[in-house]
Formats: sequence, structure tokens, C-alpha cells
Amino acid sequence: MANLEGLETHKHLKDAFAEEAVTAYRYLYFAKIADIEGQPDVAQLFRDLAEGGICNAHGSLDFLRTEGDPLTGAPIGQTDRNLHASLLAESTEFSELYPDMAAVAHAEGFPDVASWFETLTKLKRAHVQLLREAIARLERGQGPEEGGE
Amino acid sequence: MSHTDTTPTSGANGSYDASSITVLPGLEAVRKNPSMYIGSTDQEGLHRLVYEVVDNSIDESLAGHCSHIHVIIDSDGHCSVEDDGRGIPVDEHLEMGCPACQVVLTTLHAGGKFDQGSYFRSAGIHGVGISCVNALSTTLELDIWRANGHWTQRYEQGNPVTNLERKHASKRRGTRVRFLPDPSIFDTTEFSHAVLARRLEELAFLHPGIHIQFDDLRQGTSDVFQYDSGILGFIARLNAERTPLHTPPMSIVHKGGDLEIDLALQWTTAYGEEISSYVNSINTVWGGTHVNGLKRALTRSINAYAAKAGLLKADNGERIATFDILEGLTCVMSVRMVEPRFEGQTKTRLTSRGVRDVVDDLVTAQLDAILGADAALARVVVGRALDASRARLAARRASDRARYTARDIHVSDEVYQKQFGIRSATWHKSAVWIANEDLLAEHAKAFEMPEGARLLDVCCGSGVVGNSFSDRVSEKIGLDITPEMVKLAGERLDKVVQGTVYDIPFPEASFDIVCTREVLHLLPNPGKPVSEIFRVLKPGGQFVVGQILPFSELDGPWMYRVFKKKQPLIFNMFQEEDFRQMLLGAGFVDLKMTEYNLWESIDVWIDTHETTSLHRHEIRDLFHNAPAEARAVHPFEILPSGEIRDLWRWCIFSVRKPE
Repeated sequence: MANLEGLETHKHLKDAFAEEAVTAYRYLYFAKIADIEGQPDVAQLFRDLAEGGICNAHGSLDFLRTEGDPLTGAPIGQTDRNLHASLLAESTEFSELYPDMAAVAHAEGFPDVASWFETLTKLKRAHVQLLREAIARLERGQGPEEGGE
Repeated sequence: MSHTDTTPTSGANGSYDASSITVLPGLEAVRKNPSMYIGSTDQEGLHRLVYEVVDNSIDESLAGHCSHIHVIIDSDGHCSVEDDGRGIPVDEHLEMGCPACQVVLTTLHAGGKFDQGSYFRSAGIHGVGISCVNALSTTLELDIWRANGHWTQRYEQGNPVTNLERKHASKRRGTRVRFLPDPSIFDTTEFSHAVLARRLEELAFLHPGIHIQFDDLRQGTSDVFQYDSGILGFIARLNAERTPLHTPPMSIVHKGGDLEIDLALQWTTAYGEEISSYVNSINTVWGGTHVNGLKRALTRSINAYAAKAGLLKADNGERIATFDILEGLTCVMSVRMVEPRFEGQTKTRLTSRGVRDVVDDLVTAQLDAILGADAALARVVVGRALDASRARLAARRASDRARYTARDIHVSDEVYQKQFGIRSATWHKSAVWIANEDLLAEHAKAFEMPEGARLLDVCCGSGVVGNSFSDRVSEKIGLDITPEMVKLAGERLDKVVQGTVYDIPFPEASFDIVCTREVLHLLPNPGKPVSEIFRVLKPGGQFVVGQILPFSELDGPWMYRVFKKKQPLIFNMFQEEDFRQMLLGAGFVDLKMTEYNLWESIDVWIDTHETTSLHRHEIRDLFHNAPAEARAVHPFEILPSGEIRDLWRWCIFSVRKPE
């Protein structure tokens, strides 16, 4: 495929990926509520649609895989690249994205929302650590599972 | 053991002899992969062995041939189940060339229940049968009284080690199966008295008249379960601790046809719902199509009544949602049907198609008639649902308002007064931790002040924390925003003042010690109350504060969602480092922390007006689908009954105001 860099289609693939991913997780959320309301048929419909949505999101990612990570622009494809791109994304979320969101929520008078973003910030810190460890293992030539004693 | 294809043989004229035993493929696989057949090899799987044998006796009872079941747990770990049924057939099975009972004991899915001629609506239709029990037992002794004789046979790990032997003549009839679960299969071979007793009692309620004796020789107890009251008695048992809104419970019974229903419903003043559902005596913990049908019927019928009686606001299209109708409902539903289909081998959810609509129609018709005939009852039941529906909408508006006013320094006092005022009525029952003596003792242990100190308990609730310091302090003063709590705390503390922790109504340096517990997470800008506490403490004074915290950053977001759904007033999901920084940031020094882990049933904790029915369900779902990273650090357990027990990490901090 020709290079997509800088073209509308590149942006559209990223948009389509995000749209379908958001749609799928929205449907899974709706399915739970339908279950609780005692509407299993609707719940199943939402679950089926979500399954399709996830497949569709991955379809756009199939194109984007050779172009770079839709979130960070970093190269993705093989596992070592995917780990580095994930580390980059989680690091940004930990150090900039969620702390900034928390600050804005405080400023706008929503302490509970701010606390939510702060809680996510801390989780992202743990994720960064996990990804760093996985990358180190990979670079030492070990599999992701150390297993055994 | 030979493999034999499914060959339905018919028990002619409803007789129960060797010809009515149907043979399906063999059971070598059971020992190789036990979880596939009994769900798991933990204690739940172990108990399933007992259930399988008891279910056989229940089947005999349903067929009208058995009235007494006797279960014994020996002190050496054997379990024996004896009944006074017809006895498993001992005559030669033509096809297999051995006694029919041996076919039943050694062949997977062999037994009368696989042929509709012998048993109608049998418990174990797609059950694993007694052969699995045999396969998973070190030894199994079979005693049969039948055909004027007492017959015995012995098995080891599923294989016969003796031939079926007629010991002597006997007029008795019945079957006894005595087995020792194989410790090389099960994680534990220790039967739980409580779990077995609960199940046997449940069976006695579901089968009125049957006499079940349970002897546990390990602890020297003997219990007899026999109830003529059926599921109405079951409801009374379930609601023993609750306040019913109407007596007797509603009863809906449908006999005949392909599907029989026995249903009892009673609403109480509780907030949670408890629906115990059974299909052919099997507890469908996760409900299924029968329960969905019931929920639809309740929604249809109650909305139809409310509309007809003009109780709904027609102009805004008001309609009572299912979960508002279920609020406070205790219900036992027993369904009998031919060939039910379940999800998974442990049979916890009914998936039979078509059942939902049949149940819906049958229940709706009877419920319409009941409500139509008893206006007082209808007012109670429909009124309850309407209240729940309107309260939920009001709560949503209140939390919207709380959000709006959060732009100011804190949420309006009114919101806290309303929430905790309602809860004050059952304060000590609204969560186990509130009056837990070990937890209170942990707080008391932190006390470092000289005797005769003056104490302030802020946001004191019922004053139990302040009271835990009783023997060390000269004066205990409480502070709370809610008039009901001020009154309640008056029973434990010397004096209680109504006021806000954002502006503590005492001068600087008034107290030697200040305590509080599980409060700061409910307050926007928690640094302000902490600095107020600092202000009213004398130099050198101590602040003792208990707080539930996540085990680590990994369970933080998950716990945030659980807590926020339980209590909309949560503004901070502190983690340990935040809490430490907040205390030290206010100027406190000498920080010490002890940790106390406390198991809490979430059923108690979420059964309050603060938690809407939708949120209660969502909280359960969060536990059932907790992310792996949260599960890795945060212990909780889901019991076979569906009850969820969570381990709470209580952190008790002690800090001092510098001299």
C-alpha cells in the first residue's frame, strides 16, 4: 500500500478505528444495563454488535499497522514495537494526560471527577512499570513469562 | 468398561426395573477431567457429590416412592445417603450382562432419569449422576434393599471390587450409598456442615413433607428438616430478619402441562432483592429464562395495575422500571419441567427457550387476578414500586444538585443530613464494620495520650469510635451534621454538638485527641477539615483516623467505581500515599499506620437507600467481572449462594500536632 502519511485517508482510518472501538465498549456497557433491566434479547443484540465493532476496529488497525500507532504515531507491528508504543502511550497518560485532566476538574469544581483522573494516573504509573519490565525481559532475550522458580 | 451407544429403552407401563435403565457412554473420562463433570474440584465440587446422590433420592420422592432421606457425615470423612425408595434395580441388565445397579454405578449418564418413562421432571436430567460420585471416590459401598433381600456391593475408584451379593432376606426397601471422596482428585475432602445443611433445608422446603435427617458425626449434631409449609415457609425463613410489607406472601401456583410453577413473593422494607429460583430442585443461582419471564410478568402486571388505578403520571409517560419493582422483593420460584437446558455443567442458569414467555403469561394472568381482587395488597405492592421509582429519580436529581453545589467549597449540609438521617435508623446494621469490636479495638490501641484526655469525635455517627477510648479519656465530645446522628451519639458520648467539620465550633487548642473514621473520602476539599482538626488540637495532641483504602494503585479505579455506585457522595478515592501527604501537608508529624483487614458481605453494605437498585446490580457485576489487575491485589470471594464477601483494607493512622 502506498504511504498514507499526511493524507486524509490516514486520518480517516484512525477516526474509524476510534469510532468502532468506542462503539463496541459503549455497547458492552449498554448490554449490562439491558441484562439488569431483564431484557436479555436486547443485551445479546448489544453484545453481538460489540463483537462486530471490535472486529471492525481491528480492520482499520490492519491498515494502520504499517503506518504507525494511531495513539502515539510510534511504529507498531511486531511485539517489541508494540510494547514500546504502549509504553509511550501509558507514560504520556501518566505524566501529562490524566494529571492535566485532574487539574482541570479541580479548577472547574468537580473533585470527584478529579479523584477519578488521579486514580487513573496512579494505575498508569503501575502500567508503565509493567511494560518497562516486559521490555527489559524481551531485550534480555527471555520470553514474557519467566515461569518456574 | 465398554462403551455403548445411547439406546433408549423403555420401562414398559412405568415399571422401574433393569429394562428402564438407559446406557450412555462410559466414565473413564470423569477421573481424567473431573471439573468437566462436577464443575470444579474445590469444596463446591466435593459437595456436588453429595447433591448428586441426594438428588437420586429426591427423584424417588418425586415419583412418590420415598419419604425419608438420611445423610450422615462420618468422623472419618465418609458420606452416606440412605433413602426408603424402591431401591436401585438389582436384576440383570440384558444389554450389559451385569446387575442393573452396577450399570448405574459404573456407566456415565446411566439411570432411570434418562428415560421419561421412569421419572418425570427429574432433578438430574442432564446431571452427572451417581456414577461420577463412584468414579471420584476412593471407596463406595452400595446397599440395596429390594426384592425381599439386602444386597451389597463395593467399589474402588469407580470399579467394582466385589460382585453384587444378596446378604440375607429383608422386607425393607431403599438404597444406601456410602462413599469416601478421593483426596487425589479434590483440593479438600472436608465437607462444610453449613453448606450441606443449607442445601438439605432448601430441598426440604422445596419438597413439602419429605423428611431429611442430617447427622454430622464430626461435631455430634443431628438436624431434621421437614416442612409442610413449602416455599411459603421458605419465604418466612428468608425474611426472618426483615420487615414484610404484607402477610401472607403472595402465592402463585400452576400445575399440569409441560411446566409447573410454584412461586411465592413478599416485599419487605429492605432495599435489596432476593430471588431464589429452582428448576427441578436445582438452584439456578444465575436465574435464566424462567426468572426473566417472572421479571417481565411483574413489570407488566404492576404497570398495568398502576395505569388502570390512575397512579402513574400519564402526562410525562411515567412507567415503573423493573428494578424498582424488584426493590425489597423476596421471592422463591420453583419450576418443574421436562428436559430443562442449563448453561454449563454446574447448572446455574436456565437457558431453555420458550420458558420465558410461558412463565410471563402464567404469572401475569395470576398476578393480575391477585391485584384485582385485593385492593389493599395492590396498594402496598404497587405503592412500594412507585416509591422506589420516584425515590430513584429524586436521588438522581439530588446528586445532580450535589454536583452543581460542588463548585462551592462543599456540598450543602442538607444532602449529608438527608442521606445519613435516613440511614441513622438502622445505622449499626447498615455495614458490619461500624460496630465491629476488633476494628474499634484497633483504633483504641493507637491511643497515646495521658489518662484524662479530652476527646473530640468528628462526624461521629453513633459515637462508637469515640466510645472505644472510654476508659482513657475524661470527656468525650461528638460533632455531627445530622440531627438524628447527634441524638444517636448522645447514648455513647458525654456531649454531642451539631455542626460542620469544615468549621469546627470549638476554639483553637481545645482537645488532646481527635478521632474520626471513614469520613474524609465523602468530603470535597478534605484538606480543609483536616486543618480544622489540626486547629482544635492542643500542641502535642493526637489525631486518630481510620480509612478504607485500595490495596494498591492496581485496584484503585475498580474500587472507585464500586464505592461511587454505593455512595454518590464519594469525592476522593484516597490511596495510601495521598492520605499520608494530606495529613503531613496539614502540619501533622509522627505518622504511624496500622493495617486491619476485615471481611464484609457486600449484601449488607449495599442494602441501603443510598444505593439504587441499578447500582446494586452494577456493583455485583463489577465483582463478577473484576479486571485481572484488581483481582491480583484485592481479595474477595463469591460464595456458591451468590453472596459476595469483600476484604476491606482498613488503615488506621495516628499523627501528632507538633509541641
